[in-house]
Amino acid sequence: MQTSVLILVLVALTVVGFYLGRSRSVAVAGGTAGSAQLHSLPSYYGYLTAIWCGVPALIVLGFWMAFQDNIITHFVTADLPAETAADPGQLGLALNDVKNLVRGNITSRATDPAMVAAADHYRQLQTISRLALTVVILALAIGGIALSWKRIGPALRARNQVEAVVMVFLILCSTIAIFTTLGIVLSVLFESIRFFRIVPVTEFIFGLEWSPQMAIRADQVGSTGAFGAVPLFAGTLLISGIAMLVAVPIGLMSALYLSEYASRGFRSAAKPVLEILAGVPTVVYGFFAALVVAPQVRGLGEAIGLSVSSESALAAGLVMGIMIIPFVSSLSDDVINAVPQAMRDGSYAMGATRSETIGRVIFPAALPGIVGGVLLAVSRAIGETMIVVMAAGLSSNLTANPLEAVTTVTVQIVTLLVGDQEFDSPKTLAAFALGLVLFVVTLTLNVIALHVVRKYREQYE
Amino acid sequence: MDTVSVENEVIMADDGIVKPVAGGRATIDRDNRETVGDVTAKNPRMRCREVSVFYGEKQAIHDVSLDVGSNEVIALIGPSGCGKSTFLRCLNRMNDTIDGCRVIGDISLDGDSIFDTKMDVVQLRAQVGMVFQKPNPFPKSIFENVAYGPRIHGLTRDKTELEAVVHTSLDRAGLLDEVKDRLGEPGTGLSGGQQQRLCIARAIAVNPEVILMDEPCSALDPIATARIEELIDELREQYAIAIVTHSMQQAARVSQRTAYFHLGDLIEIGETNQVFTNPHHQLTEDYITGRFG
Ligand SMILES: Nc1ncnc2c1ncn2[C@@H]1O[C@H](COP(=O)(O)OP(=O)(O)O)[C@@H](O)[C@H]1O
Ligand SMILES: [Mg+2]
Repeated sequence: MQTSVLILVLVALTVVGFYLGRSRSVAVAGGTAGSAQLHSLPSYYGYLTAIWCGVPALIVLGFWMAFQDNIITHFVTADLPAETAADPGQLGLALNDVKNLVRGNITSRATDPAMVAAADHYRQLQTISRLALTVVILALAIGGIALSWKRIGPALRARNQVEAVVMVFLILCSTIAIFTTLGIVLSVLFESIRFFRIVPVTEFIFGLEWSPQMAIRADQVGSTGAFGAVPLFAGTLLISGIAMLVAVPIGLMSALYLSEYASRGFRSAAKPVLEILAGVPTVVYGFFAALVVAPQVRGLGEAIGLSVSSESALAAGLVMGIMIIPFVSSLSDDVINAVPQAMRDGSYAMGATRSETIGRVIFPAALPGIVGGVLLAVSRAIGETMIVVMAAGLSSNLTANPLEAVTTVTVQIVTLLVGDQEFDSPKTLAAFALGLVLFVVTLTLNVIALHVVRKYREQYE
Repeated sequence: MDTVSVENEVIMADDGIVKPVAGGRATIDRDNRETVGDVTAKNPRMRCREVSVFYGEKQAIHDVSLDVGSNEVIALIGPSGCGKSTFLRCLNRMNDTIDGCRVIGDISLDGDSIFDTKMDVVQLRAQVGMVFQKPNPFPKSIFENVAYGPRIHGLTRDKTELEAVVHTSLDRAGLLDEVKDRLGEPGTGLSGGQQQRLCIARAIAVNPEVILMDEPCSALDPIATARIEELIDELREQYAIAIVTHSMQQAARVSQRTAYFHLGDLIEIGETNQVFTNPHHQLTEDYITGRFG
């Protein structure tokens, strides 16, 4: 049976199991009138039966699918000529060819009798495996129903058991995110360690020059590569700084206007519009920055006699700032709204005007929360890539002049990994080291921000 | 409030002068919504005439007239939702801060209409202070809480003067002794009763003429309540006070005049003794004998 058909049959069996379990429980209790005798509602017995039918079968199916290929490959390897099997590189190629033959694709070695024999063996094993799988799964499903059918009785605590299964399921779901994060961090960490074996940590963190081009072949004339990350971090800092200079004042002011001055009607219209800014893809911001803002900045600079490069930190920072405005304004708006109305009443009742109330009571009370929001926005700015790629350039200048082209950590990660790369040259490994540092920085910022925000929440409880 | 009638009798016995309500003496029946009693005060500070308040389409106060006199405490009582807070908030135009709230009628402070364009709401609120149900000190130091009003109104010229004002206000609010060594600590760290006295100190720091209190003790324990009631009695020497209260015993203890509100109407107003012992309106009698409310 095809796997997809098998799954459909399993689902059908599960549904059948539900109804069987439910009707069985009613029958055991002696009709609907007697169902008060049961420990749980009849439908819980149905769910329990369905779980017994579906879950073990699904688990076995999952493992089977995961390992079937490896096991079959293992058997097929035994068929291949000994000299092929001994060499890992050759073996990989040969197995690939076998699989292609199985799928009916044309390969260069279609005529090699050993290969054809291996392919036949492969096919045969696959058929056996599929058959066995069908039998095992159906047996498990039906066995599950039968087992549960036998257990159903007034004393079976079906509700508690179903609840326990639901809880385990929820726990599994929530750990997926955690383990994924952990996996990402670990893989980045290990690759970084490989990088730091080649390039010393101190050179990476304190080096002032970044030029990752390396000679790939020994006979190539080329630079040896310099992996000082300081210019990248300086560039990141410069652009994020400009972005925050734009986003914090504008975002904060608009949040203050929306929460303290605007009428309810205006507010409910303006807030979504502001949040649309957050929904614009960053690529769109990127070409807006590169095609509209950068030339404007350049023109303006020339008009007042400054030399501005066509790609500048200023253009990228300005646009990034605009992108972040909704972040700042929406988070600030939330914390400003969380300041209790009693504070406002108290201030107004003292004869304070609106701006006095904002300046002396609301803003100080909301400040920790606002700081938290701003930190979150900073980590967003640091991680932003697209705008910078398009508007700030790729050249790694160590400069504080916003009119020059700079590059950032994220941009360099992209350029290091785009295209055909060797995955063990320092050049590509450097991307992981940069990623690691970036991760640590944004993680620290987020932790601080969350801490600050939480502390703020406690203040009025 | 089902135990009110019992408590009532206890309090009145405590008072010595007031006798328990005999019941059935009220002469004006329940359907009459004209105000019974004398709405005027001997030395009126604030005068309200035909005040109506609307929240959107809904009318919360119907043509209420009453005076708030100097050196007296007037208690506003009545069942929940009858509009006591709404009416109180008219007196310092706090209703302006509520979207869709409309006030019509005349209210004057020392003869000047508070709705007049000449009357600045900032000035009005400096003259008519307010204390809220839940103590709401700002999340600032005790000193800064009291200094808030003098600062925004520019009442003091230098730091020594400001300190003097803060000290006097805390003293008048009966809080100075408890906090004088820790004026720099946050006001939110005080106990509920202390916080409420801090709010009173904050209100009197700008030298108001009238103080409005909206159930100032309903979030406090009995001891803190007694302390505030004492304070209200002392403050009467200098200010005109209007207090909304849920507790009839409190009204009897602290007020000289009492106004009974019912569903947005001012039903009966008069000397506190008279309203509690000899109400003229059937609704007032129902309320103070605990038949509802
Ligand atoms: N902000 C508001 N918006 C709409 N209706 C309100 C508002 N505040 C109070 N009300 C209504 O006005 C009436 C009087 O309320 P309130 O003055 O708070 O009563 P009290 O203080 O006597 O318990 C109630 O019916 C209440 O529902
Ligand atoms: Mg009220």
